[in-house]
Amino acid sequence: MEKRKVTFRIRRFNPKKDSQPYYQEYEVEVVKGMTILEALQFIKDNIDPTLSFRAFCRSAICGSCSVKINGYPKLACKTQVFGELEVYKTDILTIEPIDNMEVIRDLIVNWDSAIEKMEKMRPYLIPDPEVVPKTLDEECKVYPNELKKFDRFTDCILCTTCYSVCGIVKVDSNYGGPFPLARVYRFAVDPRDALKKERAKIGYTFDMWNCVRCEKCADVCPKHVAPVNGIMKLRGLSIDIGLKNNPGARHVAAFYKSLLESGMLNEVLLPLRTKGIKGVLENLPMGIKMILKGKAHSPIMKPIAEHEGLRKVMKAAMEVE
Amino acid sequence: MGKYAFYPGCAAKGASKELYEATVAVAKKLGIDMVELPQFSCCGAGVLEEVKDVLDIAVNARNLAYAEKEGRDIVTVCSTCLLVLRSAKYHLDNDDDLREQVNEILAEADLEYKGTVDVKHFHWVLLEEFGEEGLKEKVKKPLGGLKVYPFYGCHTVRPKDIIGYEPSENPQSLEKIIRALGATPVSGVRRLECCGFHAFWPAPQISMRLTGLNLKDAKESGADCVVTPCPLCHMNLDANQGRALKAIGENFQIPVLHVPQLVGLALGIEPKELGLHRNFVSFNFV
Ligand code: SF4
Ligand code: SF4
Ligand code: FES
Repeated sequence: MEKRKVTFRIRRFNPKKDSQPYYQEYEVEVVKGMTILEALQFIKDNIDPTLSFRAFCRSAICGSCSVKINGYPKLACKTQVFGELEVYKTDILTIEPIDNMEVIRDLIVNWDSAIEKMEKMRPYLIPDPEVVPKTLDEECKVYPNELKKFDRFTDCILCTTCYSVCGIVKVDSNYGGPFPLARVYRFAVDPRDALKKERAKIGYTFDMWNCVRCEKCADVCPKHVAPVNGIMKLRGLSIDIGLKNNPGARHVAAFYKSLLESGMLNEVLLPLRTKGIKGVLENLPMGIKMILKGKAHSPIMKPIAEHEGLRKVMKAAMEVE
Repeated sequence: MGKYAFYPGCAAKGASKELYEATVAVAKKLGIDMVELPQFSCCGAGVLEEVKDVLDIAVNARNLAYAEKEGRDIVTVCSTCLLVLRSAKYHLDNDDDLREQVNEILAEADLEYKGTVDVKHFHWVLLEEFGEEGLKEKVKKPLGGLKVYPFYGCHTVRPKDIIGYEPSENPQSLEKIIRALGATPVSGVRRLECCGFHAFWPAPQISMRLTGLNLKDAKESGADCVVTPCPLCHMNLDANQGRALKAIGENFQIPVLHVPQLVGLALGIEPKELGLHRNFVSFNFV
């Protein structure tokens, strides 16, 4: 069986004892197929019983074992050591607690901030009395095409991995965060829910328009939930219910209009269309430089070839149920 | 040699004209069979998904269908276009009901989506067609000694389910290109970070802060310049550089080049032809 000597450089921190986190190295002979979690357990059982980490199911279900491996967070129980050595072309792996949450000890973080935020966003079904029968004798059907809209988002195991990588969580304390916002969307399109699209207001209050679409949450999610897609769709619902008077929503409208007019984005009119005169003034110095550098096009744009076909496609798409 | 349909995207056709110029010049120099299709529309930058998801997919299925008609894989120089087009393709290829529905929509314009073409980034094509070694052989003016900070941009690598060209944890394509040109890639901790472009309108402070931090990391890693395969990153890092650095209380200048500009210089193409004079922060490499 293939074996390799691997150095695990693990971040240690016991707030009761240590003034600063520090790194400790452990050398382990790893056999092919061994997971990061098994390696951590091996260290704890055979080298250093004080090493602390969290894990329960060992089957990528409970969501408790997420750690950073060479800076990138993954479920320790789902990740094989050899795969990581291959990606980084190395024999040294740095294991650290995930970001955006306080460290309780070594690799264990305190999830409370993330979970409390989610709780405030009412991530549970509020039954619509028109749809959900009062007694258990009657069924409440959800059809496959309805389920398709939110099925993927029900796969979330609350591992907080996405929350830990989100740059907006880091800089905006009011930001809802990827998995909580995706959950808001999940209920907003559940036919049994009483609030439905109105839930988009919750997303709005929790700064959903600040999401930069960095796709980090989608990239790291061990369950392929892609929370960012839920956020995008929740933004769409907010526009549907009339939350249109904000830069995010106006930016969307500007794109739509550009496509209808010429098929290409009208960058010159974008500041005006998104933020009005304020947008023009804020971006004036840059706009002037753009013109001087020959980087600005005429505000009236020539339509693309077969533009009429694009308009027809857009119209037909908007008519779809 | 593959046959490609060039999808420049709105930025390269507008505010990042220099990217268009450099890409065309490099493709010509290397003899890449690449034609721009006049029917291509804006991909919607993912924003159309916020109007309605089937609208986003139908508009991009239309783009894909035109490339299919020509039998050419799409090659783009914008990472967000890359993601949006690949994402539409991914959903169309994996969901029969959706494909049927979208094809009914496309019939309005006498088009059909079949799923026969791929969508690639321009620098992937350089590596696929020539390889690191082959590219090295084409270099006329090696960029000896130049320290280059590769700034990938989110949509160049993420999410792996849709992009999947190289491991998003540790991509190396830009490093390979930089080395092939005779320059040295420098590594900083923020090479895979977000530039914040897509929050520029709703949250300019956040957007500028992220860009500022990235520039600072590049400076601190000792780079002579930054190179990026995404025009939106470029816009934040170059055109908005002053504002971004101000947002984090810094003040310096560092040139930021588009990938084809850097490649073009090494191939011996004139800076003017690569639109270098349009970059906000000037770059003088002798
Ligand atoms: S969305 Fe994915 S990464 Fe985020 S908490 Fe749920 S399972 Fe974990
Ligand atoms: S895409 Fe949005 S929610 Fe996801 S990590 Fe990036 S900023 Fe956060
Ligand atoms: S131990 Fe439960 S998800 Fe890893």
